[in-house]
Amino acid sequence: MITSRLLSKTTVLAWFLLAAFAGGGAVRLCAAEDLKFQVQLVWATDDLKPPAGKDYKPVDPKLKSQLRALKWKNYFEVKRIDFSVPAGSTKKIAISEKCELDVRDLTGSNVEVVLFGKGKEVARVKQALPKGEILVPGGNAPNETAWLAVLKRIE
Amino acid sequence: MMDYQHQLKIQAYLDGELSGPEAKEVSDWLTGQPDAAALMTELRQTGEALTGFEEGLKLPESREFFWSKVSRGIQIQENRARADAQAAPVGWLIRFRRFLMPAAGVAVISLLALVVTRETGGGPSNPAVETSLADGGGVVYHDFSAGATFVWLSYPPDSDSSEEDDAGSLDQ
Repeated sequence: MITSRLLSKTTVLAWFLLAAFAGGGAVRLCAAEDLKFQVQLVWATDDLKPPAGKDYKPVDPKLKSQLRALKWKNYFEVKRIDFSVPAGSTKKIAISEKCELDVRDLTGSNVEVVLFGKGKEVARVKQALPKGEILVPGGNAPNETAWLAVLKRIE
Repeated sequence: MMDYQHQLKIQAYLDGELSGPEAKEVSDWLTGQPDAAALMTELRQTGEALTGFEEGLKLPESREFFWSKVSRGIQIQENRARADAQAAPVGWLIRFRRFLMPAAGVAVISLLALVVTRETGGGPSNPAVETSLADGGGVVYHDFSAGATFVWLSYPPDSDSSEEDDAGSLDQ
């Protein structure tokens, strides 16, 4: 009899704790958090070294592996910008004097990225961008090189 | 015309349910009431006729055993109800638990859905992708194994400054 009473109270307590834990977790996750992104401006080339006078560093091996679909042998990081986007809103990032990225947080891990060149919309991409994946707007540059704007989600 | 009470008295008299004085009183009254006497005769004959048709109902077990089974059944039910009442938590706790069960279920499902959505990026790594390129020569390529999406533009974003710096047509 006592055992059954105890079990009954224990069951109620377990349900309560579970509900509190799950509810708390859901509230915490639901809370609007800024999404952190990073964009790297990358120069793709077959040259072994960056241009004279530039101290561009080679990109890390992981990124280089992710860029394996491209034909170039070496990738140098020109610039790196970390930025955050408030949940559900948009952030515009200038990656160069005449090139901007507009990153908008959609539901889940989906984002909408708009690339502007000289103030005009050049491309608009809407897709999932979970951690670990990259979105790479890019194009050919003179002398068989290319420019890449590697966008990744950090958190 | 005889009233209903007198009719009942006659029936009780026939059934032997009246006490001595009452029975005598009814008997005396019947002698002076031919209608009542006729009714009594009719009731007696009807009763005798029906008695002949009654089937004797016999229990397969003795009367004492039958009623002892009923008694034991009642006792068991009472004991069970008492035990349940002692084991059961108080009323508000039951109501609270009824609320908690679905609430906890919903919370767990929400938590799992949110965790999956947040941590894995919402299921498939590349769900529906919408792309629009102002550049007619642009190409979109997904390298699923590398987790990379390339948006390749034939349009050079800063071609006018590229002569100064190959890599940094975008460099400031």
